[in-house]
Amino acid sequence: MLQMTRAMPPTDAAPRHAARAALLAPLLAGLLAALPPTALGAPPAGPDATTPAASAAPPGAAPAAEATPGAAPAAAAPPGAAPAAESSPDTRGLDEEIQGLKKDVVDLNKDLFILEEELLFPANTQVAVFLSLDVGQFFALDAVQLKLDQKEVINYLYTPREVDALLKGGVQRLYLGNLKVGAHELVAFFSGKGPNARAYKRGASLRFEKGVGAKYLELKIDDRQRKLQPEFEIKDWE
Amino acid sequence: MAVMALGCSLAVQAQSRYALIGQSAPDFALHAAVGGNARLSEHRGEVVVLSFWSSRCTPCRTQLAVLNRSLATYHSAGLAMFGIGVDDDPAQAREFARSASVSFALLLDPAKGVSRSYQVDNLPMTVLIDRSGTVRNVLRDYSPEGEQFYLQQLRALLNE
Repeated sequence: MLQMTRAMPPTDAAPRHAARAALLAPLLAGLLAALPPTALGAPPAGPDATTPAASAAPPGAAPAAEATPGAAPAAAAPPGAAPAAESSPDTRGLDEEIQGLKKDVVDLNKDLFILEEELLFPANTQVAVFLSLDVGQFFALDAVQLKLDQKEVINYLYTPREVDALLKGGVQRLYLGNLKVGAHELVAFFSGKGPNARAYKRGASLRFEKGVGAKYLELKIDDRQRKLQPEFEIKDWE
Repeated sequence: MAVMALGCSLAVQAQSRYALIGQSAPDFALHAAVGGNARLSEHRGEVVVLSFWSSRCTPCRTQLAVLNRSLATYHSAGLAMFGIGVDDDPAQAREFARSASVSFALLLDPAKGVSRSYQVDNLPMTVLIDRSGTVRNVLRDYSPEGEQFYLQQLRALLNE
């Protein structure tokens, strides 16, 4: 439903896009098949017009839309070489149009994502848990289990690529949810390989007070050089 | 008579349409029997073959060998492959994985969460996923004809 609402183009842009689509229809056939009709500027025909837009733009539609530009030059290329040379300014214009439409789709997806987060996780109840890994000499992360108020909210398994990304300084948003105002407890269990490549499992917990604003917590995994052991800490970002 | 009826019903079930075809492949992350964990979504952009197996399934071993040959041929064209074991006992699955000698990751699904999401109703069962992450085909059982069909479908997906 969100997608339906957000996929509608601005009303002033609709006639402009419709004219473009009419002029370039034969060449844009491949693109039209992959992009949501509303993103191409088809004017809304009424309340029912949103339904095809929604069906044409499922969450997985973005990669398909991204794959199209690769095919577009092939579709735009005329059969003969000589006509290609004559119509090169047109082709360039078409490429620009395609790039513009692609950018529109990306912008729409971004807006949609932000809107969805704002609606599902309002700032006054939002709680987000991040995970960062520093050094990682004494601990190879395998999985993290998170419990909020004795209830398991996530059990995340890490692949070697994800661990590499964390070791390079990446911070992962492990969990995003809602909590009411008041006292809460977060418990995190870390499992993986510890010193000497032995199976290693440790826990960390934090009691925190959820106020009116959003709450951000960070799980930090550090190496404690003095003890030659990993250290697990939960940090409350006030 | 009852056995024949059961056999017929199972055959019909095996040939029945796979509900996930045309839909986005459910994402998963699983432990590997040997090596690191694997997550399906990391292989978006590649053709992915998932093969569900069990240590007690004899044709599964043949099927995995066939898949391994195809991986050796088409790996450079953007093919990724995972075998997903559905054994209850991870130790038994690990033993099978060690003896299978395949070059792709054999993952363990003792809780059967992934098997349920892929509606596994037959072993071996092979699911073909295209570069955009959509389930395109399923192969149930193993047969030489099925192997030819698999290779045709795989080539078609890799050429897309």
